[in-house]
Amino acid sequence: MPMVLLKCDKDIPEREKHIYLKVDGEDSRDFLPVSNAQTLPGTLSERGCAFCGAKLVIGGVLKDTIQMIHGPVGCAYDTWHTKRYPTDNGHFNMKYVWSTDMKESHIVFGGEKRLEKSINEAFDEMPDVKRMFVYTTCPTALIGDDVKAVAKKVMSERPDVDIFTCECPGFAGVSQSKGHHVLNIGWINEKVGTVEPVITSKYTMNFIGDFNIQGDTQLLNEYWEKLGIQVIAHFTGNGTYDDLRSMHRAQLNVVNCARSSGYIANELKKQYGIPRLDIDSWGFNYMAEAIRKICAFFGIEEKGEALIADEYAKWKPQLDWYKERVKGAKMAIWTGGPRLWHWTKSVEDDLGVQVVAMSSKFGHQEDFEKVIARGSQGTYYIDDGNELEFFEIIELVKPDIIFTGPRVGELVKKLHIPYVNGHGYHNGPYMGFEGFVNLARDMYNAMYNPLLKLAATDIRGPANLQFLEAAE
Amino acid sequence: MNTDKIEQLFGYVQERCLWQFFSRSWDRAENIDGIIKTATDLLTGKELQLEAPMARLFYADAKIMVADFRQRFPWIEDLGPAQTRELMHGLKDKLVEFTITKSLNHELNHTLY
Repeated sequence: MPMVLLKCDKDIPEREKHIYLKVDGEDSRDFLPVSNAQTLPGTLSERGCAFCGAKLVIGGVLKDTIQMIHGPVGCAYDTWHTKRYPTDNGHFNMKYVWSTDMKESHIVFGGEKRLEKSINEAFDEMPDVKRMFVYTTCPTALIGDDVKAVAKKVMSERPDVDIFTCECPGFAGVSQSKGHHVLNIGWINEKVGTVEPVITSKYTMNFIGDFNIQGDTQLLNEYWEKLGIQVIAHFTGNGTYDDLRSMHRAQLNVVNCARSSGYIANELKKQYGIPRLDIDSWGFNYMAEAIRKICAFFGIEEKGEALIADEYAKWKPQLDWYKERVKGAKMAIWTGGPRLWHWTKSVEDDLGVQVVAMSSKFGHQEDFEKVIARGSQGTYYIDDGNELEFFEIIELVKPDIIFTGPRVGELVKKLHIPYVNGHGYHNGPYMGFEGFVNLARDMYNAMYNPLLKLAATDIRGPANLQFLEAAE
Repeated sequence: MNTDKIEQLFGYVQERCLWQFFSRSWDRAENIDGIIKTATDLLTGKELQLEAPMARLFYADAKIMVADFRQRFPWIEDLGPAQTRELMHGLKDKLVEFTITKSLNHELNHTLY
């Protein structure tokens, strides 16, 4: 019973292994959805590719690094500007996009010379920038371009530059998750330990798995500064290339997104003996708990309590105002993976909102263990969901609001269901105390927006019949 | 030991604690061992040695968990040291069973991260 075969999946019954309904009397020893598995033929996945996971999610966030994409121009455009991660240096990463713009002749005759020319052109055009990531894409990986050799040659000719190569073409894995993995492991093995940081505090940490979506990193950094904790590297929100080379000198790794960045935290523990502390940064209750844990590690509990008291005094009344207006709502979360387990209890505890369905594009079974442990009974947990399944789940659970990405969001809007961008946010940041008020405000604005009702009213009268018939 | 009491603590840990769900079985075992031991020491008033980084990590997680245990389950204050150790041992066994030995997570025993 807990594994569900939806009506729309009758011709692809294998999907039953990917959809779980939590019920009384059974647990994760009995059932766990299949995940991080190849998308089934017959289902239209909403996943991204492995290259996208490396570039769009992690590498492209850095504020001082050219992102050279060795492939057709579309691979560059489609992984640029679709996430909103600002920086404190004028949003360098969001202003520019770089591509070797591979065409058929380069595929036939090889693209290494074109890559070398593009790297040099980029450094020449931006003489103040000395750091670069080079990514392979599907075609350049298939023809076997040796990007490491090209990077090595350029670095020997330009001793002031440093280049990291990420060989993770789109087909390398079942979803963007593979790109997270390849970039994490490549970075720890090739770059960590090659720069020594300037230590300015008794307390040092890396903050891992936070990508400064609409300023998350910058907001949380105010807390760390107040606590006197030096963040050696932000992996990778508002981060720099050389900070990430210094990660080996931190005393503690604090991990928010364990899915995209748990690998590097594990390796930092294995290779350098740095402990890994996993936290939740969304929600009042969770954020306070995270601050308490970090402060307990460093022995600065009093500072932590003072910070929490200040933040509660400032933001809790506003949160409560929104809570009064959104409590009791039913919410669906259809995002990448970790936000399912980060959010399900925080919206319940802090806002009185019940999460009734969750779908993960690239989560692994570890993520489903977490979310099923935290989530409610009667809630659906879906791996790699598709649009027809979303339609059916909406009918089953009738959510009042859906947090998902802009593409699925268009579908949701057409159904006149309140929608909030769960990836890039509507008006973030959403992390921390102030951030969770922002999330609550966007939830409230979406639910109380009169446009949804107005848009659902068809004012054409009988004339709309011809359109309906044409559509059918 | 009263299984109902173990269930209450287990329910809390499942819902609140990310350390039980680390990527690999050996990481989960290390966390469960370290944090449950530290929490037991805190509950029984034993002195802690917090010099090593991992000891401080376990303390950070255990301290918050024990504070929540005391607030949510006031009966825990009435237990003697032997009963507390037995209770926490039962909690540890249950966590190991759910998150390691009977976990259906196929990635738990990969040799690499």
